[in-house]
Amino acid sequence: MKTSQTSPLVALCGAALSLPAISATQPVQTEMSIKTSSYEERDLSERDVVVGATERYDIDINQFRLLAPVSRAWSLGVDISREIMSGASPWGTVAGVDGEASLIMSGATIREKRTEVSLSATYYGQDASYSVGLIRSEENDYDATAIRLGGEWDKNNGLSTLSLGFSYSSDDIKPTDAETYGRVAKEDKDAVSASVSWTQVLNKASTLQVGAGVTKHSGFLNDPYKLRDVRPDEKLAWNVNLRYRRFFDNQNAALHLDYRYYSDDFGIDSHTFYAAWYKNLGARFQVAPNVRFYSQGASDFYVAVDDYSLPAIENQSTDYRLSSYGAYTFGLKVIFNEINWSVSAGIDHYISSGKYGLSSGKDHPALLSFNMASIGFDLRF
Amino acid sequence: MNTVTNQFRAMGCPCELRLFIPDKLNQEKVVSCCVAEALRFEEKYSRYRPSSLVSRINAAAGVKAIDIDPETSAILDYTRVCFEQSDGLFDITAGSLRSVWHQNMKTLPSQEVIERGLTKIGFDKLIFSTDSIFLPFTGMELDFGGVVKEYAADAIATLAKSMGIQHGLVNLGGDVCVIGAQQDGTAWPIGVIDPFGHGEAIARIELSEGALTTSGSYERFFQVEGKTYSHLINPLTGWPVEGLVSASVIAEQTIVAGSISSIALLADTAGGLAWLQSCQAPYLAIDQNKVCHGTLK
Repeated sequence: MKTSQTSPLVALCGAALSLPAISATQPVQTEMSIKTSSYEERDLSERDVVVGATERYDIDINQFRLLAPVSRAWSLGVDISREIMSGASPWGTVAGVDGEASLIMSGATIREKRTEVSLSATYYGQDASYSVGLIRSEENDYDATAIRLGGEWDKNNGLSTLSLGFSYSSDDIKPTDAETYGRVAKEDKDAVSASVSWTQVLNKASTLQVGAGVTKHSGFLNDPYKLRDVRPDEKLAWNVNLRYRRFFDNQNAALHLDYRYYSDDFGIDSHTFYAAWYKNLGARFQVAPNVRFYSQGASDFYVAVDDYSLPAIENQSTDYRLSSYGAYTFGLKVIFNEINWSVSAGIDHYISSGKYGLSSGKDHPALLSFNMASIGFDLRF
Repeated sequence: MNTVTNQFRAMGCPCELRLFIPDKLNQEKVVSCCVAEALRFEEKYSRYRPSSLVSRINAAAGVKAIDIDPETSAILDYTRVCFEQSDGLFDITAGSLRSVWHQNMKTLPSQEVIERGLTKIGFDKLIFSTDSIFLPFTGMELDFGGVVKEYAADAIATLAKSMGIQHGLVNLGGDVCVIGAQQDGTAWPIGVIDPFGHGEAIARIELSEGALTTSGSYERFFQVEGKTYSHLINPLTGWPVEGLVSASVIAEQTIVAGSISSIALLADTAGGLAWLQSCQAPYLAIDQNKVCHGTLK
C-alpha cells in the first residue's frame, strides 16, 4: 500500500473537501455574535510622573458581528465595534532628579469614543473564495477608511490552502485643542499592505501555516499629542509568521504554537511567541490557558528623554512603544458550546518591562501593565 | 420537535432517514427533499438506468467524450485519489471485469480471458478534465458503485442540516451518516452485522458525529467448480479477492469511510489490515477465520 508521508485518511479527507456537498468553507447558517470587553491599564506611580494625571486608559469595548449566507455562492458580513476610552496619555519625558526619565502626562482625563463599521462580501467558487471588505472607523480626532481584498485557493485536493490579501487604508488626523497646544491642525497618512500565507495539513492531527506580509506607511506618522515627536514620513514594515496546530487524541486537547518576526525601517524588530492549550472537558466545555511573549528592539531614533536642543526636524521620539522592551501576556479562556450557541469568557493579564526583552533596554516609565476581561455569546441559526 | 422515520429504496438498497424535525419546519417537505436528493444520485449515476450520465458515458466509450458537470468532476477527482492511495486497487473502471466473472458461469475463466479483461480497465487510462470525460476503448465502463451511495449520504446530511435539522441519521444501504447525536444527547447505536451469522449484530457502535460504513464480501458471492468466490474482483490480478470478510470504518464523511472500507476488502487479509492501520481511522475488520481486528468493539 501507499507509504507516502501523507496518511491515506488525510489524502481522502482532503479530496472529499472538494466535493460540493462536503466543502465546508461556506457558512450554511447565519452566525451572530456579541462580545463585551473591559480593558484597564494599571495607573502610573506618582514618582514616575512630573506633570499631569497618573491614571491611564480604561476602555470598554462592545462588538457585534453578523455573517449570513445570501445565496449558494455568496455570504455577507457586518462587524460593528464601539469603544469608550477614558484616561490620560503620555505627552513626553524629562530627566527626573535621579537622571531617569520621568513622564509628562496629559493633564485631565480624556473621554473619547470610537466606532468602527466593517462590511464584507465573500464569493465561494469551486476550490476558491474571494472577499472584499470596507472598513470605516471614526473618533473625534481620528478617522480611518480602509478596503481589503482577499482570496483563498484550495490546492492538493484540499490539503493546502493559499491565501493572498491586499489592503489600503487612508487615515485623517485632527488633534483636539490643536491651537491651544500648538499641535498640527490636520494631517493624513495612508498604508498599503500585502500578505501571503500557505496552510498545509501535515497529517491527521496537525497543520502548519507559513505567512509573510509587507506594509508601506506614508504621511504623518508622528504622535501629534507628544510635545516633541518627529518620525520619518515613510515606513516600510514586514513580517513572517508561523502557526502550528496539533491535536492530541489521548489528551483530547489541541496545542497552538505561533511565532512572528517583525521588522521595519524605523529600526524596530520584534519576536512574538504564543502557546495555547485548548483542552476539551466533556462534550461541551473547553478551557484554553495561553501565554504570549513579546520582545522588541528600540527604534533608531528612540530617546529616553526628549531632547529640545535638537532641531525640530530631526527624528526623535520618547514613545514607549518605540523603546526596547519585552512583555508577557497570561490568558485563560473558557468556552461552553451548545449545538447552535456558545458562550465564552476570557481574562488576560499583560505586563511589560525593559528588562523582559531579549535585548537589554532601559525601563520606560510608561510601559504598560493591563488586565482585560471579556465575555461573548455566539448564535447560529 | 417530531421524530420522523422514513424508509425508501434508492440505488438498489433499502434506505432509512431518522430525523428530529423542529416544529417550525414542514416535515413532509424536509423528508421529500432528502429522498429526492437520494433519487437524484440514482438517476445521475446508476449504470442500470439507460438515461443516466454514467450510462451515456459508458455508451460513448471509444467513440466520443461526454460533457460533465462540476459535481461529477469533483467525484472523479476524489476517485483518482482513491486509486492513487490504494495503488490501483480502488478502480472505478474495474466494472467490466464482471463480464469475465459472473454468477452464471460453470467453469473458471482462462487466464487469457482474464488478461484480455484487464486490458480494458485502468483508471489511469481515462481521459477527463473538469468539463468532459472520454473512455478510450469500447467496452470500458465506469461504475461509481463504490462512492456515489456514500457521497449521497453526505449530501443528504448536508441538505438536512441546511434546512435546520440538528439531530438525524441517514442510512443508505448500511452506509450511515449521522447529524449530531440523538435529540436527548445520546449517541446513535449502530449495529454491525456478523458476516458469519444470520443477520444478528457482532458489534454495536455508538456514533454521535460522522459516518460508519461497512463493506463485506459476504453479501454477494458465486460458486464455480465447487469453490466460493467473492463478487469483488482485484483489478490488478483480475481474480476475485480472498481477504477480509468485512470491514467497518468510522470517518467524518461517509464517502471517506466508504472508500477506506472498500479498499480494505480489495487487498488480501494482511494488506487489508495494514491499509486500515495506515488510515488511522477507527475500524473493525473480520477475517476468514472469524477473528475480529481493530479499534472498534
